Amino acid sequence: MAYPYRHESEVRVMSEHFGDPDARSLAGWRTRGGYEALRTALGMAPGEVVNIVKDSGLRGRGGAGFPTGVKWSFMPRDDSRQPHYLLINADESEPGAFKDRELCRWTPHQVIEGALIGAHAIRARHVYIYMRGEFFEPAQIVARAIEEAYAAGMAGPDIMGSGVGIDVTLHLGAGAYICGEETALMNSLEGRRGQPRIKPPFPAVMGAFGRPTTINNVETVCAVPHIISNGAEWYRSLGTERSPGTKLFNMSGHLVRRGNFELPLGFNLKELIYDVCGGIRDGRQLKAVIPGGSSVPILAADEIDIAMDYESVAQAGSMLGTASVIVMDDRTNMVKQVRRMVEFYAHESCGQCTPCREGTAWLARILRRIESGFGRMEDLDHLLDLGANMTGTTICVLSDSAAAPVASSIAKFKDEYLALIRRDDAAAVAV
Amino acid sequence: LIDERERERERGGRMAEQVTPIRGNPGFAGETGEFSQLTEADVRGSGYAGPRDPAGGHPGAACSHPYQVVARNPEAALFEGPYRERLDKIISRYPTPQGALLPALGLAQEIRGHLSADSMAQVAEALELSPTYVRGVATFYTMYNKQPVGDYLVQVCTNVSCNLCGGDDVMAAFLEATGAEAGEITPDGLFTVIEAECLGACGFPTAVQVNERYFENVAPADAPAILERLRSEHAAARGGPADRTASARPAGPRPGGAVEVPEDPGKPGETVAPEANPYAGGDDTPPAAARPPAADEPATGGQG
Repeated sequence: MAYPYRHESEVRVMSEHFGDPDARSLAGWRTRGGYEALRTALGMAPGEVVNIVKDSGLRGRGGAGFPTGVKWSFMPRDDSRQPHYLLINADESEPGAFKDRELCRWTPHQVIEGALIGAHAIRARHVYIYMRGEFFEPAQIVARAIEEAYAAGMAGPDIMGSGVGIDVTLHLGAGAYICGEETALMNSLEGRRGQPRIKPPFPAVMGAFGRPTTINNVETVCAVPHIISNGAEWYRSLGTERSPGTKLFNMSGHLVRRGNFELPLGFNLKELIYDVCGGIRDGRQLKAVIPGGSSVPILAADEIDIAMDYESVAQAGSMLGTASVIVMDDRTNMVKQVRRMVEFYAHESCGQCTPCREGTAWLARILRRIESGFGRMEDLDHLLDLGANMTGTTICVLSDSAAAPVASSIAKFKDEYLALIRRDDAAAVAV
Repeated sequence: LIDERERERERGGRMAEQVTPIRGNPGFAGETGEFSQLTEADVRGSGYAGPRDPAGGHPGAACSHPYQVVARNPEAALFEGPYRERLDKIISRYPTPQGALLPALGLAQEIRGHLSADSMAQVAEALELSPTYVRGVATFYTMYNKQPVGDYLVQVCTNVSCNLCGGDDVMAAFLEATGAEAGEITPDGLFTVIEAECLGACGFPTAVQVNERYFENVAPADAPAILERLRSEHAAARGGPADRTASARPAGPRPGGAVEVPEDPGKPGETVAPEANPYAGGDDTPPAAARPPAADEPATGGQG
């Protein structure tokens, strides 16, 4: 089954049933081994589940890469006093990322099973799946899967006769990138503006509705059933020592083959682009790569011979983030694309912190001025100065994310900025 | 209920034959099998999941789905009849009534098409919140239309991944094909075209969201065909039997329908050899089922 393209290097764990409509129903999912991991996990004490996931080395797939088992272990162990919540972050809106949507629309029961195991591990009795409102089709598919799970006793009170009861509610957002930030997500779920909260208190102490809460990405919980079924050791046999397991690489931009490819962490970026994705479209040359979604620093074409794991990408001066690789060919107008990304952050800034609210707007204005040929030489210093003032000075990292592509593009593609400022006609580029 | 759905599917099937089907989505996203045929009743009603606890049912999900239906009435009463039931169900899903605010606003928008000050005030009253608070929340989120929009809200992604592959040109093509400015309603009331931030479909550029439907791999040349398709769906929806009341409105294009776009012709001047292009279709790509226009699907929210 070609979904839509499979590569021999892929190690398909979570994405095995992409493109297979039968896998989306409960019956279909069960014949593919679904919900067996949940049965196993419900037979264990919550602490045991946490330990297995800890041992597996699974790290959060939403961008930060925090070890999932460790995160779960922060939750209070005494569940008698107050309800706990597990929130599944399906508010996928990082430019370049399109993995959670595919997981939800092709393997809704994988998402639910992983969420239920996670909820059991942290003694939560209620899971909210927070999905961005634009994802109507995935939401409908997940909603139906939830209905199926309830009808078959896979969710609700006394799941599969285990005595454990967990409810699952799908909650749709209403269009705000910042709600993907975990504390903003909690505010949004509570019916507030999606503005990030100051930490501490951390969500595990005081999260959604004032209760201990854990927030996990869709892809993170999708890995959990496989870890429970096959063991921590098996998971560690994939990927690298510090970044174990597989990851969905979301490949977009000027590639021959775009799409999601599941590969072990540590896979070489160059090979990913030229072998798995078939290289650059139209026989063009590579100019730049954003390895982890628009929020991370840009890599130049000669910096891509690196392993795609959390440590190696960081060492190369960028971040793995959501492993959303945006590839740009040699026709790309770097200033325009950076401006477009910055405009996004200016639009999505929640407005709480001055450096972000003002900084993103000014970055966008200055970049637009340069792009239109009215830039001044001192604008580059202004951009870098603004960016420096926006980094590490705000509640969340949206501000840092807006500054990252600006600083890295000026460092690596300064000539393009200079050509536009000097109104050098040779700089006329197409895209 | 099931009979009704069967009948309606038959009707839909017949109508689909009259609407020229656009080729299946060249991206893998498109054909969603039986899910493309789901109706509101499927995901909201009791018909699918079987009997529920009469004391309120389980705290599942489906009731909170706001739909972006074509037929809506800015003057319609909010939260009456089936909508009251849906609101009550939504509220039961959260530990505090305030938690139901986002879905409740979505519900109000489903009924009226946009959120007027009056709608926000009524939501505030229903959830025992202050109107200013509700307005403060509603204005934070982009999916709430603070102004009326056309029956079809066309949102073109121009963020980086789509932009690299010509998102700006697709935006320009939709503006040209509708003859309207961005954000403006076309004189026939059908379309409003706006620029959107990342839609999360970066691997299938350019992504275009029309109401709740995604169209993927859209090239500038596809814009007229997509609009034409929407026009014929709209006409079919309007031409349905007149069994509509305020509470049983036509649902317009069936929510959650298959995401269908014209075959990817590639960017102008760009050729991708068929074997190199996984999206070009072929034996492995099932042709998308023509999407029934659901001319007379009653709004079934609140069942079950």
